[in-house]
Amino acid sequence: MGVKEDVIGVICEVLDVAENEVKDEQTLYDSLGVDSTEMVELSVSLSKKFGVKLQYKEITNKSTVSEIADVVEKKKLNF
Amino acid sequence: MDERIAITGMGVVSPAGLKKETFWANVKAGRSCVDTIKRFDASLYPSHIAAQVHQLDAYSHLSGRLTKKIDVFSHMALVSSEEAIKDAKLDLDNCDKDRIGAFMGNAIGGWLFAETELRDLYLEGREGISPYMASAWFPAAPQGQVSIYYKLRGYSKTVVSDRASSALAVWYAAKVLKDKKNDYCLAGGMEAPITPYALLSANTHGALSKNNLNPKTAYKPYDLYRDGFVLGEGSGMVILEREKNAINRGVEIYGFLKGIGFSCDGVHRIKPALTSEGLEFAIEECLRDCQWSKDDVDYICLDGEATELGDILEVKALQNVFKNKLGDISLSAPKSMFGNLLGAQTSLDLIATLLSMRNSLVLPTINFSEEDSHCDINCTPNKAVAREINKALIMARGRGGINVVLGIEK
Repeated sequence: MGVKEDVIGVICEVLDVAENEVKDEQTLYDSLGVDSTEMVELSVSLSKKFGVKLQYKEITNKSTVSEIADVVEKKKLNF
Repeated sequence: MDERIAITGMGVVSPAGLKKETFWANVKAGRSCVDTIKRFDASLYPSHIAAQVHQLDAYSHLSGRLTKKIDVFSHMALVSSEEAIKDAKLDLDNCDKDRIGAFMGNAIGGWLFAETELRDLYLEGREGISPYMASAWFPAAPQGQVSIYYKLRGYSKTVVSDRASSALAVWYAAKVLKDKKNDYCLAGGMEAPITPYALLSANTHGALSKNNLNPKTAYKPYDLYRDGFVLGEGSGMVILEREKNAINRGVEIYGFLKGIGFSCDGVHRIKPALTSEGLEFAIEECLRDCQWSKDDVDYICLDGEATELGDILEVKALQNVFKNKLGDISLSAPKSMFGNLLGAQTSLDLIATLLSMRNSLVLPTINFSEEDSHCDINCTPNKAVAREINKALIMARGRGGINVVLGIEK
């Protein structure tokens, strides 16, 4: 499974939403109405899942799933 | 109050039921909802009995995404608000939401969420705590969640005033409507004190019944063998609007909020005064505000703390104010069935009283067996009594000697 699918998996688990509700091309805010507090939880869960440290504002609710997956992937490579 | 404030909808989340119909069926039959606490090991607490709400999830309309962010007291408030809005036939989409507000009373906040998350913070470090902790635990959280859920933007407030919280919240809502700042108000309260820490705090207070072996009959206000009140959890919510507005909408009116009286004993930060003057003042102030004489009152929903001092002072205040007319007034403490909901107690008392008015039935004070000569009143023991109720008072007293009396009429 690719990073993007894993990111979607974490989003579904954290936000308790179905996979088809997560839209690749839209920002998390536009597709799911993710707020800043949910973003904190998402960021912590993604950090744990991928073993990387996501800094504040590296991913926001204005990011799309693909953008988040890119950030995570780059972090994993640099590690 | 000049223009009357009508109550046109009600929603209940209580140990006696999660619909007003179930609630009424249980309280009119005089059923005790008190039981041993089983959701966590409370056996070492001096008092480990309570009236609990079961199956909240089964009645909930909320998504898992929302419920994981909120404490159970917000969950209860959201469920009771939904019921109240539906009951009032309020079509929120066609209302000006800038003129709808929420007024809620709570005494202690949402501890189940707070306790769990703080434990995780200390065990796992800063990443262990949920970010929702910031917005889940504090007493105004339910009012905020309800406002967000229904997008209510009108003037709103949360009142924290111990066991008088929801009485003051309801009055505050009525005042805002009278001042024409809002067109509709959701008003009531919510409390969820059956958690390890909150129960400990309530135990420390010392006013809880320790009759753990007989949970069903433990809460016995005005009885010679009373030993304190029993905690309850839940939420009651009503929809308030101006009388004309309700008539124009053509909806059923359950009753009207007529007036309020309140006072503070002002002798100690926790203890009430050892005399009943403060409470007497509040009762008389309420009668004045309602423009009622002492003959007008048909029913009084009592505070029923079930402590020696609480009951005796309450009875004394009533005797001093109403004198020989007290015998003509029906009195009872329905909370002996569904527990004392602390900050939310008046929200359920208000709903119980409105339903009593509607059904012309005085609810009983259950578990009454032995008369106390210091509490010489007829508290409608054990069995409901049929009686036309047109005007009623609801008493609420909090720590530090807060006294609030609400006047409602048909």
